[in-house]
Amino acid sequence: MKGYDAIVVGAGPAGATAALAMANKGLKVLVVERGPTVGSKNMFGGMVSHCPVVEELVPGFWEQAPWERHVVKRTLTVLSEAAATSIVFESENFDRQPYNGYTLFRPIFDRWYARKAVDAGATLLAGCLAEDVVLQNASITGIRIGRGKGQVHAPITILCDGVLSLLARRLGLSKPAEARNVALGVKALFRLKEEEINERFGLLRRQGASQEFLGCTEGIRGGGFVYTQTETLSVGLVVHLDSLKESRKAPYDLFQRFLTREPVRKLLKEARLVEYSAHVLPEGGYRLVPQLSAGGLLLAGDAAGLCYTNGLNQEGMNLAMTSGFLAAETAIDAFEKGNFSEKQLAGYEARLKESFVLKDMRTFGAAEELMHNDRLFSVYPNLVGTIMEQLYRSDGRPKRGMGRVAWDAARNSLPLKHLIADALKGGGSLI
Amino acid sequence: MITDDIFELVSYDIDEESHIRVDTEVCGQCAHRACTFACPARCYQWNEARGKIDFAYEGCLECGTCLIICEKGALDWKYPRGGFGVRFRLT
Repeated sequence: MKGYDAIVVGAGPAGATAALAMANKGLKVLVVERGPTVGSKNMFGGMVSHCPVVEELVPGFWEQAPWERHVVKRTLTVLSEAAATSIVFESENFDRQPYNGYTLFRPIFDRWYARKAVDAGATLLAGCLAEDVVLQNASITGIRIGRGKGQVHAPITILCDGVLSLLARRLGLSKPAEARNVALGVKALFRLKEEEINERFGLLRRQGASQEFLGCTEGIRGGGFVYTQTETLSVGLVVHLDSLKESRKAPYDLFQRFLTREPVRKLLKEARLVEYSAHVLPEGGYRLVPQLSAGGLLLAGDAAGLCYTNGLNQEGMNLAMTSGFLAAETAIDAFEKGNFSEKQLAGYEARLKESFVLKDMRTFGAAEELMHNDRLFSVYPNLVGTIMEQLYRSDGRPKRGMGRVAWDAARNSLPLKHLIADALKGGGSLI
Repeated sequence: MITDDIFELVSYDIDEESHIRVDTEVCGQCAHRACTFACPARCYQWNEARGKIDFAYEGCLECGTCLIICEKGALDWKYPRGGFGVRFRLT
């Protein structure tokens, strides 16, 4: 088969960005995508944070891109047995361009974005699985496709093949994922009239909302979410796999019970279920970012473990696009120097470290540990509910001071040493 | 929502060959059988009568859960052939 300058495996946001950036510079790029159409393997149902780097590739990117709603309202809800305590953040600044975040459908967005790469000259091969890489003199020189029968060669390959990245694993670049560093997301899409969504979430026009839930996973480390699209809601749960395994509960059963929780049930009243999906996501944080390059090879997006949450932000797509962009810059640089060695491509990691991608992952590296504290998902949500209910309750008896109520409730919920340890660790990891 | 309904809403182009191979000998020694409850598509079931795992690849969402929770390495896990497998419409 004919040769290319660069091969991109996977046409998600990392792959499309890398392909577009390289094609813009005149490189001959092949993108292989295992789905029959671009985006058809993706079950994303969240928010993509504003990502300036793509504006450099497509002027007016966010004006053109097929997104659903721009998110102006973010809610964090802590569920206890009978109560819900929410922090609602709404900003008029997020209602002005450039918008801070968007909800979107990946089968639509990814297809649009990959089309940009094709328009710039990249070749897209959908329905094509990259089965292996071709290794020559300790350097990756291409991929195997078509059940081992075909080979495509290029001096550089960029793996954007998602969280499981079987190819990176086979090469030994990333370690086999352990259950404690991976979460499972299960999600369903519900159809609801646009006006109905606007009314229930307090939105106007194409304003969007996100709502995250803590304390809805029956003590399993994880949380729930609801995101608004134009005429649909994405509703789901994300749970750590080791914690799920220990619980011996089925994710769809947990999900079903989440849907019956009062605050969720109200949002979904008369909404029609239209699709169900599930996928794992990287949850290891900075600590588990794999080796990002090798001779002739770069990793971007989820394949590079670039995804994190700190409790408030859930970032992945913007990290994918930015890493795809930086991988392309590294590849372009390598072409100018005619050098695709491991040493030359190691410059990619340096670029990521200078950018917000690895800086943010590092900043919130310790938050990953906090997210592995079981008490955050069991004891604390109930404690919040208990305190708030006591503060608001009127029962004819004299009220106690607020600090006293909180302190007594906390002392009744968990040992002092845990309370102190969690306060120190929790504070330290986020500040 | 009835749990059974959600599985009916997923579209697939099913290949004639399974993309995941289960070494049921290894499963016989597994104490947790986590795949039987953690798989979000209910692809794994413990068959009490035959004393082994029944696996149906047709409903697989290609999510990766089983690959990660099976620390015994009973699974030969590949993606379906290009163009085959689960196909999300909107999601």
